Amino acid sequence: MSKPATMRRMPQIAHVDVNCFYASAERAFDPSLEGRPVVVLSNNDGCAVTRSAEAKALGIALGEPWFKLAPRAKEWGLVALSSNYELYGDISARVMELLGRYSAWLEVNSIDEAFLGVKGTPDQLLALGRTMKTAVRRNVGVPVCVGIAPTKTLAKLANKWAKHNPAFDGVCHWDSVAADDRESLMRRLSVIEIWGVATRLTKRLNALGIQSILDLSRADPVMIRDRFSVVMMRTVLELQGTQCIPMEEERIGRDQLIFSRSFATPITTAAAMRQVLSVYGQQASARLAKHGLQAKLLTAFAGTSHFNSKDTSYPSVCVPLPMPTADPVLLTRAAHALLPHIHGGIRYARAGIMVTDLRPTGNQAPLALFENPHEERRVGTLLEDVTRRYGRGSIGLGHAGIRGGPDWTMKRDMLSPRYTTHWDELPLVKAA
Amino acid sequence: MGVVVGPRVIDAGMSLVSVLISPVPVAAGYPSPAQDYFDGRIDLNEHLIKDITSTYVVRVSGDSMEGAGISDGDELIVNRALEPKDGSVVIAVLDGELTIKRLRVTGTGVVLQAENPAYPDIRVPSVSDLVIWGVATRCLHHV
Repeated sequence: MSKPATMRRMPQIAHVDVNCFYASAERAFDPSLEGRPVVVLSNNDGCAVTRSAEAKALGIALGEPWFKLAPRAKEWGLVALSSNYELYGDISARVMELLGRYSAWLEVNSIDEAFLGVKGTPDQLLALGRTMKTAVRRNVGVPVCVGIAPTKTLAKLANKWAKHNPAFDGVCHWDSVAADDRESLMRRLSVIEIWGVATRLTKRLNALGIQSILDLSRADPVMIRDRFSVVMMRTVLELQGTQCIPMEEERIGRDQLIFSRSFATPITTAAAMRQVLSVYGQQASARLAKHGLQAKLLTAFAGTSHFNSKDTSYPSVCVPLPMPTADPVLLTRAAHALLPHIHGGIRYARAGIMVTDLRPTGNQAPLALFENPHEERRVGTLLEDVTRRYGRGSIGLGHAGIRGGPDWTMKRDMLSPRYTTHWDELPLVKAA
Repeated sequence: MGVVVGPRVIDAGMSLVSVLISPVPVAAGYPSPAQDYFDGRIDLNEHLIKDITSTYVVRVSGDSMEGAGISDGDELIVNRALEPKDGSVVIAVLDGELTIKRLRVTGTGVVLQAENPAYPDIRVPSVSDLVIWGVATRCLHHV
């Protein structure tokens, strides 16, 4: 590349994500799943939300309902598992904690992927990518791929390339690949393969003669803005190598909602952290309500910058909520479970919360009276009285208190143990 | 009137964890003599776990490691970040199962040993022929 020396020292973006995350998290504790087709099912064991490479090879589509797969599972040797949100939440937190050691600038993009700001020569960046890949695999136990490029959009593309082309061995540094090869990749791939380009936009782009990623990268950004949106213009600029997708503090994914940020000034007290977590708790509540969702599990995390501090700390907690909720008080209280792990004087460079195990609000809350227990103080007192007199499980809010297992709304017949968060479900190691 | 700021211990309601909070005012003239020496309760996480991100707890099933003081039902603290060495107690993946063994690295090859004569050794040419899941650092033995 004939870029001036200053260009090469510009910070780049590393995009790291876990391969088939849910399936990989299961395999980390059950090696017998290695090499077998595995699908992880959505809430109520509805449909396949994660497929291992072997399951994809069988032609199982994303979102395929379990009742269609079940009759052939035996013949295929297919293993189906219910979503083990506790496990995935903890493994995700561990991956993010570990990645945080490699960059002060970390943006958790979803439960299984993150962007990191990275600097160095091409060789150093490639080496960093390999180091991160090896470390996550070894220390946490799940496989990742890494894409490193001048922009987020290209880093995502580089990661996708690394996943599909074994020659990269899981790590692709965009600028280190020959320009001809990059061009031919971009010519081969349809615009729909780009992060953030939806199907309906693809049709409109195609109508303008823009078919491939290469076509889009060569389009006039101003024309794209006028005909589409600023968002699409950013994508064009990003494909051209100009960073313009800003740091995001909030993302909603298929089955999770994340609030996190790096701080301009490090947080050094539990009191300040309490404020940050409270803000996130309330934001999460508002967003959940807006999307008509409730959460069952909350993960709160914080981390020091690996570079600026000799006291490193990456605390995280995984808090099962007492019932599916979007209640700001419950969410904030749950997020505060991180506070005992925040040590005064340590300089925390980032913090965040993630809510997972989301389900539509309509599925529970059988009585409107109980929707917000905090507005009905007397209900709480009554419940306590009854519980004290007749025992736990004799009464509860809505369905929540009814005996018969904690996951009363969910059918999770194929749930693996919550290996890392429950003492009575630890992984067993054979001494034989 | 002066105020002495001192720490107070609360139970955080979580296993193995307690936390210091402050300030709690104490009337001058009645300082606790222990106050200057109190740094908090023993935190087992701090002493038993070096790298929390890379550490898992597992439970032993079987009696093949009795000779190493590791019994059926004991919990092990396993650090995945450690390099397995000669003499390490490791969790290895054998036939798709997490299995605990003593790792022996010799000039002639690598041996996974049980610590119980009833179980045979497993020999492989080199460590790279094994999948080592993690290295056990502590055994929480039930006495």
